[in-house]
Amino acid sequence: MAVASDAVTAPRPLDPAYVLKEAGAVAAIVFALSISLVGLKTEDVPGGITVVTRFGAVAIVTVIAFFGRLGLILLREGRPFPVLVTALPFALALFALLLWDQLFAPEIGLRRFLPFGDMIINWLLAIFAAILAGRAAWTFRHEPRQQSAEKREKKMDRVAARVQRAARVVGPLLLGCAIILPFLPIADRRLLDIGILVMTYVMLGWGLNVVVGLAGLLDLGYVAFYAVGAYSYALLATHFDLGFWICLPFAGIMAAFAGILLGFPVLRLRGDYLAIVTLGFGEMVRIILLNWYDFTNGPDGISGIPRPSFFGLPFVRNPPEGTETFHSFFGLSYSPIDRIIFLYYVILLLALATNAFTLRIRKLPVSRAWEALREDETACRSLGINPRNTKLTAFAIGAMFGGFGGSFFATRQGFISPESFTFIESAIILAIVVLGGMGSQIGVVFAAILLIGLPEFFRELQQYRMLAFGATMVTIMIWRPRGLLAHREPTIHLSDEKTPTSHSR
Amino acid sequence: MNSRATSDRHGTSLLTVEHLSMRFGGLVAVDDISFRANDREITAIIGPNGAGKTTMFNCLTGFYKPSVGRLTLHHPRKGDYQLERMEGFHIPQQAGVARTFQNIRLFPAMSVLENLIIAQHNELMRASGYTVTGLLGLQHYKRAERKAVEFSRYWLDRMGLTARAEWEAGNLPYGDQRRLEIARAMCIKPVLLCLDEPAAGLNARESALLNELLLFIRDEHKIGMLLIEHDMSVVMGISDHIVVLDYGRKISDGTPESVRNDPAVIRAYLGEEEDADLRPEVARDIKKN
Repeated sequence: MAVASDAVTAPRPLDPAYVLKEAGAVAAIVFALSISLVGLKTEDVPGGITVVTRFGAVAIVTVIAFFGRLGLILLREGRPFPVLVTALPFALALFALLLWDQLFAPEIGLRRFLPFGDMIINWLLAIFAAILAGRAAWTFRHEPRQQSAEKREKKMDRVAARVQRAARVVGPLLLGCAIILPFLPIADRRLLDIGILVMTYVMLGWGLNVVVGLAGLLDLGYVAFYAVGAYSYALLATHFDLGFWICLPFAGIMAAFAGILLGFPVLRLRGDYLAIVTLGFGEMVRIILLNWYDFTNGPDGISGIPRPSFFGLPFVRNPPEGTETFHSFFGLSYSPIDRIIFLYYVILLLALATNAFTLRIRKLPVSRAWEALREDETACRSLGINPRNTKLTAFAIGAMFGGFGGSFFATRQGFISPESFTFIESAIILAIVVLGGMGSQIGVVFAAILLIGLPEFFRELQQYRMLAFGATMVTIMIWRPRGLLAHREPTIHLSDEKTPTSHSR
Repeated sequence: MNSRATSDRHGTSLLTVEHLSMRFGGLVAVDDISFRANDREITAIIGPNGAGKTTMFNCLTGFYKPSVGRLTLHHPRKGDYQLERMEGFHIPQQAGVARTFQNIRLFPAMSVLENLIIAQHNELMRASGYTVTGLLGLQHYKRAERKAVEFSRYWLDRMGLTARAEWEAGNLPYGDQRRLEIARAMCIKPVLLCLDEPAAGLNARESALLNELLLFIRDEHKIGMLLIEHDMSVVMGISDHIVVLDYGRKISDGTPESVRNDPAVIRAYLGEEEDADLRPEVARDIKKN
């Protein structure tokens, strides 16, 4: 791994022993990992489960890892030619086979030439090979891409700055896409469900961004506020027969109170200690929900949560006598997807409100104080900033959006139980914020699409889907350790007219 | 800035420290110190390392609660404040005591201008209606913000940092970071500015600039200053009054001339006759002088 970072223009003499050792080590690791993960598979057979061995796949994986690593080393050493002549035909052949398979159905029988049984993995392999070939071609035309980590970081930051400036165009564009999505021919039930899920996480990510990204308070128990919001709505709606839009602010207020409740004991804690206490808080809320049977119905959960209605018009096929429904009022024929489309727009609206709120609050002194507190609490005290109130507002506002998200979740599902509010949810939301780039609004959107949207598309892989989740996370962390779009623009400028330019790099 | 108090306040006391002691368990860091600092004067606090200078600053600015003692700030416009009884973060805004730190404490990832704006936080917070009316985007807040920017611009111009207002503070050269920290402290519009080793790490030219800056603040902004410093060219060059501490005790107090010739000070810095070994920082101080 230890390769000197000083760039060399002429290819250095290669040490074959070193290259083989590197590639062999990677292949050995992959072999050791895959022998049980890939090599053994349980399969249902009549009368029980048997273990099926797939050592052929293990061999293929190991060989691919070996050559992939070899290719990367050669690229790093400025020898793109052998990489190009191997990777390019390989990628082309694989794409050709896959397209053939897609277009002319599998009966021709070319499928057995493909390395893996799962088509999606073959596609991924082809894409990786193409990327490798592309990088080789790039190295051909340019000098070897040897950059120090710092230089790379700066370059990435410039890219992030450009993307964030482009966000002023991309943002409305994405919004436009999101608005017309339900009316596109590709919009089926599945796509809309994924859209709703992604936007829920975008909204939660924006909420958590206030606490983690701006105030720098690592919160591992965010799902607690999500749960408080969901249960607030479910209990209010089922006991008092109140509608979604009336309960929504209450759910937000309840969650904000929960945020302050959590905030008080952790005022003096920072970093790891804070993370552990918030983690505990998240679990406490879940366990209370599980055990307070009289109030929350415990593990049985709450069912029959009212669905949101369109200004009082419900989305049902057969309404009770004498009531109007959405489709009868507008003279449409009943379609179950109407309700999904409506939910889609509700969450879009909630997410937009969150975005507008957070963008606005960033220009206000309270947000600057959050960031200052993240940077240096001692200096804040010396400037007369009240750290207690500042932290509590961050917790409360972050929690409030968690509460809104939770009540939307409750109305979408119609049923909630403590099962839905486990630690993994907090971890996913935090991962979205961190991978998106702390404090970046558009970064959260991209990270949510990558982390929530992609695994949904990988449903074909069944239990290996979480592997795709992990792989995405690891890739982003290697490629951009500070998050996808970690670039900060100043919130205030010397003169109003001046366009924001960063001279700092 | 605000020269409502037009009467000559030279020689009026701004800060009275009476019997200040600070103990950490069995360790007595500051032991029964009393002195007065006058308005519109630079009071230097010197002494070997570990003499309790920074501990005393931390007591004054509310980071520590003193074990014993009274700290009275005579605010020229608002009356007296008992600093030892106040909540730490109230001292800067209410009593008008600002400070800088020995190891610079800026907000490194924020812009230079933002650093100065944060110092005006409480004013802006009120103007933004504690965020509620600010969210509505009312003109009132926009005007207050503009005013804060203009005030910051004054200090940026004074420090020669205007061209770098959008830089990340952490990317500034060291000397500029020191100056920015002083500017930030001045942005809370203090009546007493406490500087903890502002010349540490500066070269000779930057030190000279710092002297000029501190005299400018004293004369133009008409405030009092407390200055901890090892650099004797700064201390002897600009201070009106010097307090010398050693092992937590005050050993001398007076004008630069009287302190320079005080046998107790010489003993503390040079050691007793038989004690020939100089502590390194003492040797450095003497060489500079």
